[in-house]
Amino acid sequence: MLQYLVILLDKTSTSFCHYKAPSNSPKEGRTLIPLETLRQGIRFGMMENLMIQYVYPDHELPEEYQEVLESIDHSKIKPYGQEDADVLVVDGFQQVKATVPVVLRVTKKELFAHQAEVAEMLADVPRLNVVLTDVETFTEADFEAYKECLTRLAANVERLYVDGKSPQLNLLTDRMMLSQMNNCGAGDTTITLAPNGKFYVCPAFYYENEADSIGDLEHGLDIKNKQLYKLEYAPICRHCDAWQCKRCIWLNRKTTLEVNTPSHEQCVVAHLERNASKELLQNIRKHGTFLPEQEEIKEIDYLDPFDKRDTWQ
Amino acid sequence: MVNKKESLVYEAAGQWKDGAAKNITFIVTKDCQLACKYCYLVGKNTKERMSWDVAKRSIDYILDHKEYFSEESVIWDFIGGEPFLEIDLIDKICDYLKMEMFRRNHHWFNSYRFSFSTNGINYHTDKVQNFIKKNAGHVSIGITIDGTKRKHDLNRIWKTKEGFSPKPEEEKGSYEDVVKNIPLWLEQFPNGGTKVTISSADIPFIKESVLHLYSLGIHEVNINVVFEDVWKDGDDKLFEEQLMQLADAIIDNKYYLGNTCSFFSDSIGKPLDKDLDNRNWCGAGRMLSIDAAGNFYPCTRFAAYSLRSKKPIIIGNVKDGINKNLLRPFLTLDRTTQSPQECIDCEVASGCAWCQGENYDAADTSTVYQRATAICKMHKARVRANNYYWNKLYRKLEMEGQREEFEKNKKKSNDVIC
Repeated sequence: MLQYLVILLDKTSTSFCHYKAPSNSPKEGRTLIPLETLRQGIRFGMMENLMIQYVYPDHELPEEYQEVLESIDHSKIKPYGQEDADVLVVDGFQQVKATVPVVLRVTKKELFAHQAEVAEMLADVPRLNVVLTDVETFTEADFEAYKECLTRLAANVERLYVDGKSPQLNLLTDRMMLSQMNNCGAGDTTITLAPNGKFYVCPAFYYENEADSIGDLEHGLDIKNKQLYKLEYAPICRHCDAWQCKRCIWLNRKTTLEVNTPSHEQCVVAHLERNASKELLQNIRKHGTFLPEQEEIKEIDYLDPFDKRDTWQ
Repeated sequence: MVNKKESLVYEAAGQWKDGAAKNITFIVTKDCQLACKYCYLVGKNTKERMSWDVAKRSIDYILDHKEYFSEESVIWDFIGGEPFLEIDLIDKICDYLKMEMFRRNHHWFNSYRFSFSTNGINYHTDKVQNFIKKNAGHVSIGITIDGTKRKHDLNRIWKTKEGFSPKPEEEKGSYEDVVKNIPLWLEQFPNGGTKVTISSADIPFIKESVLHLYSLGIHEVNINVVFEDVWKDGDDKLFEEQLMQLADAIIDNKYYLGNTCSFFSDSIGKPLDKDLDNRNWCGAGRMLSIDAAGNFYPCTRFAAYSLRSKKPIIIGNVKDGINKNLLRPFLTLDRTTQSPQECIDCEVASGCAWCQGENYDAADTSTVYQRATAICKMHKARVRANNYYWNKLYRKLEMEGQREEFEKNKKKSNDVIC
């Protein structure tokens, strides 16, 4: 069931996920969403009872937009440095402080190189979402390095908990808190409105191919094979308990050609996080009662559920 | 009478591990002498012929990567177009395969089969015959003959000298050119089966065609309706009537002794459990197809020349190898995930086939996870006639006290999928 409408306020709106958005230079195509399109988008959201998330570009919006933007309850995703945001996005490694959740978009190389600074940031932001922008390029050596990186980050998270703080790092703490899949929901619970007035599964689908829309404001939504965006129709994911995995529909299609099938790399990365979360949960509990309602995360003998497919039936 | 010792049937191969075989297909040419009206190969041409270099590099890649090809046995399949147009290349490929499997002490050595599906036109030629003799014991050949002359010639027509489909008034059927080779084929492959394809226009000729094939000495008739959306209103009724007449003829004339027709199977037409009977129908992704450009496909039906409206799905090539991520959707496909609710709830679901390539080609989005249902009415008609066939046959056998004996010796008919 649809719950969220992401509205890209400009073609150069900041990326808050795996995909790359066009740069903010006027040359590369700043295209502001027309005011009337924005009004219609908001109206659509109201009629469908959707929660609206505006994604801002790295330049100021004209004054006349403010009144329209404020005509409905919403949250604001903005590039780091802007004020009045609900979520701030840092593109490329940069050590920041903030009073709102921060999305840190980094490559694996950046993460491995700056893991100590990332660990330090946990005390300076209420929540840190690390988004790896090159998951599909992970090699066996990268998996090893990532495992080590997660272990070190987990040690820091544990220390902060012992000190009475409650750091949030999506890679490690989400899985400890979850009791079911918590995926991004693109195409299922969330859709995106682009500046051209068309709907897309998520911003990445818009940037990859504008013709790949799932409807428009004039004719409404038309999501073909919409069941394939649901967990029950994802043969690998529905057998998986790496519940923190974003299950990126766009990366799925990019790497396997199917929106419901993740790549080996995405599965292994998610399982390394899952296993690190398991260790972290056990280690924190050694210091006292912690999340007593949550079950232990089970020991498993695989990193890619695909390898266990013979046991599914 | 065929002397069994001289028979060249592939079953002579002692090490064959049936059911555990990898199917590897060389698309040696996209050319064919015929322009069959129901052919799903929409992009046939004379230009895309496999080179020896591509064939050799493919073989080297496959034999170098035992970890991807762990099946106990292998079927080296050659298709086209018409594969025997490239008999020289095929001969060279097979010689190299045998030599390399031996040299590498590969687990497929002596557990392999060379398989062909041919239009039969060149079957008698010296080159094809020499190949068959040279590879005796490891060859499987199916000749496609569609039934009576009028049924066969309705669809299986020669293309023009220029290589195009002829105008209706210039159509020339290929029946006579094929049927003349059937005795030689049956002499060499006494258990040879043929594959018959039924499109809308063929329905009135089903009964006569199956019986005609039996009369030619072909005891195994593998027959299926095309998966494409070609069916007209009323076709299901006509189809049902033809199958009922065929059922009467087979039973009344005792053709059920020693012959099979895949339309009749006592396992079809039952509901399927959504958990226990959830396997995918076809083997796309478990096989490997290679084309003239050296591209790899999960099945031939995903090559460009097979697709009407979608891009090909290329899962690798001879240079870079197989991209295993692109195989994941195929290897995790199951029945219920790709089926609409109507199919999941269907009370006569068993035996209702699908072709993964046609599913992909006909899908609303670029996915293999949307089952095409164009044959729904035809399957239901088949089930009704099939029920009639088995009820009538079993009653007759019971009355004659022969049911137990029949069940014991019954030949299993094959489900035809493509």
